[in-house]
Amino acid sequence: MTELLATDGLELAYGQTPACRDITFHVDDGEIVTLIGANGAGKSTTLRAIAGALLPRAGTIRFRGQDITRLPSYERTRLGIALVPEGRRVFPFLTARENLELGAFKYRNDKAKVRALIDKVFAMFPRLSERASQNAGTLSGGEQQMLALGRAMMSEPYLLCLDEPSLGLAPMIVQDIFRTIRSINTAGTSVLLVEQNARYALATASRGYVLQTGSIIASGPCATLKEDERVRHAYLGRSAVEGVSERVSR
Amino acid sequence: MLTVLLQQGINGIVVGSLYVLVALGLTLIYGVLVQINFAHADIVTLGAFAAYFFTHAFGGSYLASIGIALVVGGALGWLINAAIFAPLRDRGSELLPLIATIGVSIMLQNAMLAWFGPIPYAFDTPYSEHVIRIGSTFFTVQSVLIIIVSTTTIGLLYAFMKFTFLGKALRAVSQDRETAGLMGINPNYLIMLTFVIASALAGMGGALLGPVLVMTPFAGTSVIVKAFAIVIIGGFGNVEGTIIAGLLVGLIESYTTQFLDPGLIDIVVFALLLLMLAVRPTGLIAEKREENV
Ligand SMILES: Nc1ncnc2c1ncn2[C@@H]1O[C@H](COP(=O)(O)OP(=O)(O)OP(=O)(O)O)[C@@H](O)[C@H]1O
Ligand SMILES: [Mg+2]
Repeated sequence: MTELLATDGLELAYGQTPACRDITFHVDDGEIVTLIGANGAGKSTTLRAIAGALLPRAGTIRFRGQDITRLPSYERTRLGIALVPEGRRVFPFLTARENLELGAFKYRNDKAKVRALIDKVFAMFPRLSERASQNAGTLSGGEQQMLALGRAMMSEPYLLCLDEPSLGLAPMIVQDIFRTIRSINTAGTSVLLVEQNARYALATASRGYVLQTGSIIASGPCATLKEDERVRHAYLGRSAVEGVSERVSR
Repeated sequence: MLTVLLQQGINGIVVGSLYVLVALGLTLIYGVLVQINFAHADIVTLGAFAAYFFTHAFGGSYLASIGIALVVGGALGWLINAAIFAPLRDRGSELLPLIATIGVSIMLQNAMLAWFGPIPYAFDTPYSEHVIRIGSTFFTVQSVLIIIVSTTTIGLLYAFMKFTFLGKALRAVSQDRETAGLMGINPNYLIMLTFVIASALAGMGGALLGPVLVMTPFAGTSVIVKAFAIVIIGGFGNVEGTIIAGLLVGLIESYTTQFLDPGLIDIVVFALLLLMLAVRPTGLIAEKREENV
């Protein structure tokens, strides 16, 4: 498989406060890769660095063979990286449709294409088409998550980065969202998935990395990680893993 | 009595729509940067002088001078942002750009003082002389022109914000700059665009205000004080609120002049401002927002 994204020795900080060090990982074409870890481990920080919202202090990021380490976020979107940020971050005073349109900002001169992409998102999430002219801030949490996901897909990314898509949502909706993530992947988009819900994450992804206080402490195929004593102990209640993986894969 | 009410109502709307032109720029910049631009006043003044010299020194037509002031204002906005504000923002400071706007304002005022002197200029337009009479109310062609130009401009701006990709991007940047960047929007470009639009409106406002202002290098200051009040009454960064508040302040001004005393205008306006801050700190129109998690 060809390499899509690769980071090498990333060092990330907020001002003078270090957050992550020596972050080295990669995502291949067509993969779903997950980053798991406890609160404050540095998962969001890492994703923001990939999307360009935070520039690293040291290390490199390569995407489709190009060094993008110092590229601002708005240029990475053009190259094919999309991020669904933590907490969804829809534009609250823009309508759902306007939010989607902005997701396709790089296609702004091609009205027909934007319309076709919106139709695709509406087909994926019919609920959104009913809410199209409503301000995004008035949507329910689940609808906002669908909107944030749809908005990211509007740029037709090669790599979709998701920061805790299950946060604060009812189990039914979480299952819906994960099913959609799988079908997006099946249709050809690679996915980098950050989750606190390690059970769902390990059941959805093929490989994973475990972050702890800013460093990667374990990595490997999800099947192996599920058996890893540190992972089981920290993130998984022993018994529940298998049950969920069955439900998700259905 | 009814005639007086009507007459002063018209006067109020004319003045108010000029305030709206000036205040909208402040609102746009505040919305995107959460920053008050003190130099905005001086762009109004420079717009007025640009129109004055174009008509009085070069014999250009007044109508064309409005366009000239628009371009001069926009160019100044671009220049000030590119030369001073943008580099300061890049250094990540919140306070420095605000202080810089005060610095730029003082610099511009003193430069104008050096060039134009302290004595007020008399800005005559051919349209201030023509009086139209309908029933028992009177208005000048200049007032009609002001209403037409400002309504058209406000309408165009509104359509730009509502219906174009760039206008929606501008609103997105003012709601969440980082996320707008993730959409592929270059926030720096939109901030620049905001400065250009805001300053173009201020310059044009200057050309329309010139004939009624005491035209000195400090002319813009008297307008900007009311524009600040309007931005606050309208709800910081809220475009619709600013339009309504601007017209409201224009009306208050003209009725205060008629029924109380012109000297009381600022007292009434700022009493309203304080009242608003006390009872509705979010402004006339609070953005409709329901938090759902
Ligand atoms: N804006 C910020 N300024 C300063 N420090 C920050 C900022 N955001 C995060 N941090 C710090 O960086 C570290 C990593 O935070 P990060 O948000 O990446 O964790 P996370 O793994 O996403 O956690 P969670 O599961 O709670 O979302 C934490 O110690 C946090 O306090
Ligand atoms: Mg996080």
